[in-house]
Amino acid sequence: MKGDTASKAELLKAADLSRVYRGGKGVFGINLALEPGEVVGLMGPNGSGKTTLLRMLATASTPTSGSVSWFGNSNSREPSVRRRLGVVLDQAAHFEQMTGYQNAWFFAHQFGILPELARGRLDELFRWSGIWEARDQLVREYSLGMKRRLNLVEALVHRPQILLLDEPSLALDYRAELDLIERLQLLTLTGTAIVLATNDVHLAERLSDRILFLHQGNVIREGRVPDLLTELAGSKEVQLQMSSPVSLDKVRALPSVQAANVEGDTVHIVLARGANPAEVLAVLNGTADLVSNMRVRRPNLGDVFLKLTGVALPATHD
Amino acid sequence: MLAGSVWQRELVEFSQRRRALVIKLLFPLLIAIPLLFSRAPVVYVAMALTMLIAIIGALGAGAVLTRERLLGLTVRYRTLPVTPGRLLLERLSINAAIDLLQLLPVLLLIGIRHPAQIAWWPALLLTTAAVLLIGNLLGAVASLLSDSPGEVMLYVFIPLLPVLFLSGVFTPLNDPVLLVASRFLPFSYLHEALLGALGGQPNLLLWETVLAGFGFLVGAAGLTGRLGRRVLEAE
Repeated sequence: MKGDTASKAELLKAADLSRVYRGGKGVFGINLALEPGEVVGLMGPNGSGKTTLLRMLATASTPTSGSVSWFGNSNSREPSVRRRLGVVLDQAAHFEQMTGYQNAWFFAHQFGILPELARGRLDELFRWSGIWEARDQLVREYSLGMKRRLNLVEALVHRPQILLLDEPSLALDYRAELDLIERLQLLTLTGTAIVLATNDVHLAERLSDRILFLHQGNVIREGRVPDLLTELAGSKEVQLQMSSPVSLDKVRALPSVQAANVEGDTVHIVLARGANPAEVLAVLNGTADLVSNMRVRRPNLGDVFLKLTGVALPATHD
Repeated sequence: MLAGSVWQRELVEFSQRRRALVIKLLFPLLIAIPLLFSRAPVVYVAMALTMLIAIIGALGAGAVLTRERLLGLTVRYRTLPVTPGRLLLERLSINAAIDLLQLLPVLLLIGIRHPAQIAWWPALLLTTAAVLLIGNLLGAVASLLSDSPGEVMLYVFIPLLPVLFLSGVFTPLNDPVLLVASRFLPFSYLHEALLGALGGQPNLLLWETVLAGFGFLVGAAGLTGRLGRRVLEAE
């Protein structure tokens, strides 16, 4: 929807992009193109390569092979490229001995924003992000959530054309997350493109036009959010909270079970359209008394990933 | 106080750390006053002060850059629209300038204590500035090897102590090869300038020391600019 109103020129293009670390881990052969106003979500479990990929796209890391071009320029050190990127990295890195406002002022100036313009924009962004009252506090006194909000302020102040966000909703409360979604949706209407590395299913579903599922450094599936969800249309996810460990072999053997996985004390089972959750309980017959809680909900992107890989995304929202 | 540039930010952060500021200013005086007002032989005073100046330069930058790398700030630097060479040069130059400010009371005390040797003061100032910038650069390179601000001390001292020995700081160098080698090391000129300013017997002429101090200062600035990418973009 967002790409329809903007030109189809590619703001960012990654071709056969790889970054290999010692030990063989990394990301391999990634292709990605980003149009104005488009939001691409990168999803995958911890260690799947989301942060590595995002860092390369943010010019913070050099690929082992392949190429990235930003606005048609493949020189990652070119200041005119970096000035048009807004980046929130995985670490909420700040100068801890300086106040939040001093930090944001410094970064605004680095991106070439004139003082009078910076003042107006920072005041608005600090108010929007809910840290206005804490603007003159030292960052070392900030909570993680406040530091992440400050990261967002710093990434947005120079009105970048591409936003590269690594877990932007991390440590945000629900209200702040809704505000973030609203702000980012508005930005896409003005042509800002976003790459979003996240395991927050709610955020990814609300914002993303396309999703790249990453697993062990490879893109295992790419598609538009509605298309991906349609694959599981009519199916449902059953969450069983167990009071002791349980084997899922028999459950997985059921024809109606599309995926099953254990995460901590919770069993996640994706059931096909029309399947009855009671079937699962019947199979777990001998152990059903160990089920301390049961929930059934509509499937989300986390379930699509579970179906594809058999691995659950961490910290997915309901 | 708001800071937009890298060097201004360093100054603001430094001035906001009041306790560290006081300790930083008092610490060299605590070492220098007993040395300057005792009957210690000039050669020992010059040796101790050369070591003090070299260590102050190297440890500060090394610890700060290691901490910043652990915090993830170094990765953020890579996303700024500033060349890494300029960024490192601005950072280390202002750090060296702050270190020089920290040592200024000591240098002034030397001038007050030995007014007849005041001609050596410019040489002392220049060689001190050069050693501080080189020390900061050494600390920056050492920070790449360190996993903690404490560990950086180890990587600073490993090269620093032999280099100080080769500079003739600990014992006079009689071997002609070692003597030539010492002239390629900035610490030897600082040591000579201190010997001159303290009323000792330097082996070099005043103008030679001034010229070397200036040369090492310019050379260190150039090298810092060139090593920016290596230091700030190492992964």
